[in-house]
Amino acid sequence: MTMIDILLRLHQNSYYFFAIILFIIGFHTMLSHNNLIKKVIGMNIMDTSIFLFFVAIGYVNGGRAPILEPGVPYTAYVNPLPSALILTGIVVAVSVTAYALSLIVKLYKHYGTIDAEEIMRIRGGDIQ
Amino acid sequence: MSIVNHFPVLAVVVLLLFAYLMPLLMRWRKEWCVPATLGAIGFSLIASLYMMWQVMTTGPFMYQMGSWAPPWGIEFSIDYLAVFATMTITIVGLIVIYYGTQDLLHELKEQVMGWYYTLYLLLMASMIGMVLTNDLFNMFVFVEICAIASCGIISIKESRECIEAAFKYLVLSAVGSGCLLLAIAMIYMVTGHLNFTYVAQALPQVMDLYPLNILVSLALFLVGLGVKAALFPLHVWLPDAHSSAPSPSSAVLSGLVIKVYAIAMIKLLYKVYPPELLGMAPIMNMILWMATLAIIIGSMFAIVQDDIKKMLAYSSIAQIGYVFLGVGLMSESALQGGILHIFNHAIMKSMLFLSAGAIIYATGTRKLSDLKGIGITLPVPTIAFSLGAFAMVGIPITNGFISKWYLALGSLDVGRPFFAAVILVSSLLNGIYYLPIVVNAFFGEPEGAVAEPRPLPRQMVVSLILLGSGVILFGVFPSLILGVVSKAAQSLLGLL
Repeated sequence: MTMIDILLRLHQNSYYFFAIILFIIGFHTMLSHNNLIKKVIGMNIMDTSIFLFFVAIGYVNGGRAPILEPGVPYTAYVNPLPSALILTGIVVAVSVTAYALSLIVKLYKHYGTIDAEEIMRIRGGDIQ
Repeated sequence: MSIVNHFPVLAVVVLLLFAYLMPLLMRWRKEWCVPATLGAIGFSLIASLYMMWQVMTTGPFMYQMGSWAPPWGIEFSIDYLAVFATMTITIVGLIVIYYGTQDLLHELKEQVMGWYYTLYLLLMASMIGMVLTNDLFNMFVFVEICAIASCGIISIKESRECIEAAFKYLVLSAVGSGCLLLAIAMIYMVTGHLNFTYVAQALPQVMDLYPLNILVSLALFLVGLGVKAALFPLHVWLPDAHSSAPSPSSAVLSGLVIKVYAIAMIKLLYKVYPPELLGMAPIMNMILWMATLAIIIGSMFAIVQDDIKKMLAYSSIAQIGYVFLGVGLMSESALQGGILHIFNHAIMKSMLFLSAGAIIYATGTRKLSDLKGIGITLPVPTIAFSLGAFAMVGIPITNGFISKWYLALGSLDVGRPFFAAVILVSSLLNGIYYLPIVVNAFFGEPEGAVAEPRPLPRQMVVSLILLGSGVILFGVFPSLILGVVSKAAQSLLGLL
């Protein structure tokens, strides 16, 4: 396969490609940052990438919203199911985010910092 | 049209309804909270026993939400595995919360007690939903409810260890949920279905066209559910989360929650993915090796702990390895052993956590080295703990022996005696860390707080006795539960 072929394929599947790039960015942010708020942001980027991926599955090129109107001739419709599912997914992601942020507030009250390594150090200090 | 036809969905919905009633009750009728919680879980227990009777007499059946037929509506599949799991969840859940009604009073602030019951009922509802559902996205929703509720019952005790453990658990299970949703997207992409039955029919047809999608989805399911079930390299959140939580939370998290994800994995591997796929990638071998490492390394970590609940938490990592060992071996007796171990471990680990909780309640100490002579001053929890310890080691007449026996038989059946040796070695390791505690407890000289413990409330003693008699009962008469377990294993392997 030549370079052109690969680029052409990436172009055809650009939604999936960018969704996966976003997923990796989010995953990397989540694992590599010590700041707890940044971890939560990474988690959100990761979730968003999956939502994008899921909605892109249902998209039909040139498709319209699946509403039948009298007099309008039949055209291609996008699949509404992934969008409906992702609404649930977004609600779940919002509630997880809210809960995680409230835990961070509590952690800040107890430790006076939102840095994961600092918290580990303080905890290690009082065990010994 | 009678109410019993709707038991599958009522078992979930009644719990959800009572979960949301609980904060209101807490405000106006404080004394109704406990009976309402017990009543709701009791109703689910009756519903699951009725479903079990139905399945054992007339065979598995489907329940359609709002009578919408499968490709459009959501289905509950009431089969042998599902009724077995709902029965385990409701029985153990009921006993644990009965214990908790007393224990929580000293671990939690009074104004959050109502919220604890809310979270507990949500957790029970999501677990029952997860084992009954026959729909991928419905499963994802229950997985998320379960994740938030189980973090909630840890962080509700607002000490800094609990908050930190809950945050770690939440972040890692969010990664797991992300993987699950991506896996569901991959499956939906190639099959266009979310219903297990339809996906299972469509997968063999599209396997040649999109092998990568299907393999990636399987890998993502394994990682997503593996994180939540604390399968070995993904277990890092478990020791902190399970040891810092209030004792009833630890009991239900270790005893039930991690097992439910294992059941979801069993359903996906055996009911959804075609067997030919398992030839394309060594998925089963990977599960086997992860389980083996979990069994050995979990036990080794447990040996060096001095905190009683941390030791039990590490031991859970080893025990979830047994369940996955049964899943990975692909033989009838091994699968029976694995499924049976879900039930047996639910009973014995919740009993161990509850007796540890009772010891902490009465003496205020969590250190194993301080527990000398506790058997003389606190006989009931110590005897319960010893029974649980014997069951963990796998001494005959306890139920732990039966499931290990089936697992060992299964590994010999498929000609892999190495895994039987793993089970033997891990039993010895279990002996190394459990038996000295038992010996110390009965033959040491009590001193300090251990010499004059607080008296235990009736609820704690009753629940420990119930669970302890369960360990003996299912150890001496395993056939009580083996009937449904062997049917479940046979139907999963397609032998029925």
